[in-house]
Amino acid sequence: MRGLAEAFRGRPGPIVAATLIVLLVVYAFVLPLVTADPFSMSGMSILDAFSPPIWMDGGQATMPFGADDQGRNLITAMAYGLRTSIMVGAISVVIGLVIGGALGLVAGFVGGRTDAIIMRLADVQLAYPALLLAMVIDGIATAILGRGRSNEMAIAIVIVSIGIAFWVQYARTIRSSVMVERDQDYVAAARVTGRSNTAILIQHILPNVMAPVLVIATINLGIAIITEATLSFLGIGIPPTYPSLGSLIRNGNNFLQSGEWWISVFPCLLLVALVVAVNVLGDHLRDHFNPKIRGRT
Amino acid sequence: MSEPVLKVRDLSVVLERNGRDFPVLDGVTFDIAPGEVLGLVGESGAGKSMTGIAIIDLLVPPLRRTSGTIALSGERLDQLSAKRMRRVRGKRIGFVFQDPMTSLNPVLSIGRQLTDTMRRHLPLTRGEARERAIAWLTRVGLANPPRVFAAAPHELSGGQRQRIVIALALCAEPDLLIADEPTTALDVSVQAHMLTLLRELHEETGTAMMLITHDLGVIAKMADRVAVFYAGRVIETAPTGRLIGAPLHPYTAGLMQATPAPDADGAMRVRAIPGAMPGIGALPPGCAFHPRCERAQAICREERPPLADAGGHDAACYFPLVEEVVS
Amino acid sequence: MSLDDVLILNAVSKAYGGRASMIEKAFGRRPKGLQAVREVSFTIRKGEVMGLVGESGCGKSTIARMAAGLLAPTGGEIGRNAAMREQMIFQDPFSSLNPRWRVRDIVAEPIRTHRLRPKKAIDERVAELLRQVGLSPEDGAKFPQAFSGGQRQRISIARALAGEPDFLILDEPTSALDVSVQAQILDLLRGFQAELHLTSLFITHNLPVVRLMADRIGVVYLGELVELAPTETIFHRPRHPYTRLLIDAAPDLDATDRSLHPIPGDLPDPSDPPSGCVFRTRCPFANERCAAERPELRTVETGQVRCHYDLDLSQRAAA
Repeated sequence: MRGLAEAFRGRPGPIVAATLIVLLVVYAFVLPLVTADPFSMSGMSILDAFSPPIWMDGGQATMPFGADDQGRNLITAMAYGLRTSIMVGAISVVIGLVIGGALGLVAGFVGGRTDAIIMRLADVQLAYPALLLAMVIDGIATAILGRGRSNEMAIAIVIVSIGIAFWVQYARTIRSSVMVERDQDYVAAARVTGRSNTAILIQHILPNVMAPVLVIATINLGIAIITEATLSFLGIGIPPTYPSLGSLIRNGNNFLQSGEWWISVFPCLLLVALVVAVNVLGDHLRDHFNPKIRGRT
Repeated sequence: MSEPVLKVRDLSVVLERNGRDFPVLDGVTFDIAPGEVLGLVGESGAGKSMTGIAIIDLLVPPLRRTSGTIALSGERLDQLSAKRMRRVRGKRIGFVFQDPMTSLNPVLSIGRQLTDTMRRHLPLTRGEARERAIAWLTRVGLANPPRVFAAAPHELSGGQRQRIVIALALCAEPDLLIADEPTTALDVSVQAHMLTLLRELHEETGTAMMLITHDLGVIAKMADRVAVFYAGRVIETAPTGRLIGAPLHPYTAGLMQATPAPDADGAMRVRAIPGAMPGIGALPPGCAFHPRCERAQAICREERPPLADAGGHDAACYFPLVEEVVS
Repeated sequence: MSLDDVLILNAVSKAYGGRASMIEKAFGRRPKGLQAVREVSFTIRKGEVMGLVGESGCGKSTIARMAAGLLAPTGGEIGRNAAMREQMIFQDPFSSLNPRWRVRDIVAEPIRTHRLRPKKAIDERVAELLRQVGLSPEDGAKFPQAFSGGQRQRISIARALAGEPDFLILDEPTSALDVSVQAQILDLLRGFQAELHLTSLFITHNLPVVRLMADRIGVVYLGELVELAPTETIFHRPRHPYTRLLIDAAPDLDATDRSLHPIPGDLPDPSDPPSGCVFRTRCPFANERCAAERPELRTVETGQVRCHYDLDLSQRAAA
């Protein structure tokens, strides 16, 4: 904990970013607890459709950011959407981290042919943009499961697609760290003591290679959220009947031309705020944990 | 007595941390006479390398010189502008670092580095510089100088590179050579070659030398006089024979006993000094050595002993070892 | 293998590279391998400290890592008791301790691995070991970064002792330390040696250190064991010219005799060692036979030497 306090001392940018993230998380996870789901019948009222933001003519105090075409209160809808986006982002990052981490650990520790196979696979995957890959995986899943899938299934597919699309970066980072650590004398000491390879890998090496990937994971969280929003915007991710920042933006996009700008602009601003905050924090953590910048002692 | 080549008086350096200054060097004072080899000896962090860096004004924040005068052949280096100081480095003071790789530019040929250095400091034509460079490569004992002249640093062994670093340090005919742990990274057999070379060149050129090392064996063979560093201060200074034969300061004696060596009967002995040298910012009051010293009395804990001027063999100690040696 | 033999090296070799690549096969070229260790034989007996001394790159650390089972030899064999517990102390005090582990877990690891103490007694044992190496039990809660190089070597020693080893390998354990810290660590090791009669292999480039620590000394040059003898014999009556020259090359503390004694010539390229005797290119006594014929490891009095001549150098110098 003292290390954490140390990491932020005298750095206003990261402090603002961290505070903003905390506020957004509270907003996304607390508001839905006390409001009705605007994507269910009871949560919307068609009478309020296209209600403008509070400061415009016809704005209502209960709907500070206005309402969309179905009369969903945007401040509630965005909380639900933000919650989905954060969860999809976080879970997909964890999936990528677990897959990439495991493959990277094995590749770096075992070396030889195993390493070559895993790394060539990574090279092949890198030839495709992550977004394209997520679309392909989503397409395959849809082909197998059929169109009539549930919202939950669609979300799960998006999460897995994004997770798989990002494993390579973790695998490469972990692999190169493992290759450095496995030649350290503390590993040799554990070998001489008679520890098994698995024990050495999990207990000795893993804790020493985690810091850089956790930093990458933070930065990737922003990219994963953007990817989810992009997929949903393109209509191949989360269906418009389910709240996510991407589906809100997509829906709002239909009304941008007709003057109801708020339906897409506010979710957009929220997305930008979240991603910028996450990136500022990630950059800061990267600098903080980078021994070259920070010095060894 | 002639004018010293290097005259250092009351040199102090601090390390700034969280707005506070911690002493790194404190009142370092010594002279180097023309043609003399002064050895600076001490443990890591005692301040011996810092002294070398402070003399050529290469301290970078958070390190800062707070006091002291440094005179090279009478000229005050501490008052020179950064621009003029750059001309002193390399021309009037040559430097040999511990790691020969970092002192050589990895992408330039050896010949280019030698000729560049000479032409920067001496009025030579390209042809003359080349001739001199080849002569220097021969002089530092490298076989096939024309081949070495064209070689890149990575094509040479560690010992060969260290010879080139010595040639680079001396080729501009400096008044003073500062050699900072010049043989520490080398093996025993290569080390003896390098020390022989340094000695030969020193005798030929007459350049005064400041030899920084933690190895008392190197001091015994090379230095005319020695300054012993402890916790940022010079605690004893003497001609080499007197220092090694009859050290006054208990730390100097302890350092010698800590070096494994056979005693008069041929049995090996080693005797450790208890404790550790205080780190920066953790200096005890009084004599910095008193927590580890068997001879310490009340005054040692309270008052810092000055480096007493006792005719060439000086020690900063209230209870020096001299009586025991005499009796 | 007799009961008193802890480790037997029989003509052990280690080569790196050397496997022909496809291109080399296609062009019928022989790959350029590196023979790091060549046919080294010695036996370590129970309770003795065997020293190995040589310059960097001579192969002594490779021998240590093979003795520890960290590297497999490419030739010859290593005989050891399968149930034997080994421990190793390394040169670099910074890389030899896991920076993410607390000191008490580092020291407890061998105890837990070999189940040397019941679970409840481990904490107390760790505290005892930390005290024995001159640290305090409270230091157990800290991470290695909180300690200096000398203190880290103490932690390494505590870890090694925790494993109650039948055989201890020390690879340059004091070479990264200042002389006064080195003396403390040597003192500590000598104390444990006297108390526990550890069997150990002590590797260093520092002749006074190995003379202080070892009962017998092997001298390694360019991957070969060129001489093996009891410590005082090595220093008073060396049989191999390299041993003699190596002893003379290190500057001693005598300021009245300022002579320096470099070993003539340079170290040959290890991937292209000289024919015959590996030392002949620098040996003042070499002749044609040394170039033509590799000397056998011969037994002389109390030791062994790999040299064509029964070169009792002290007598030779006197003659």
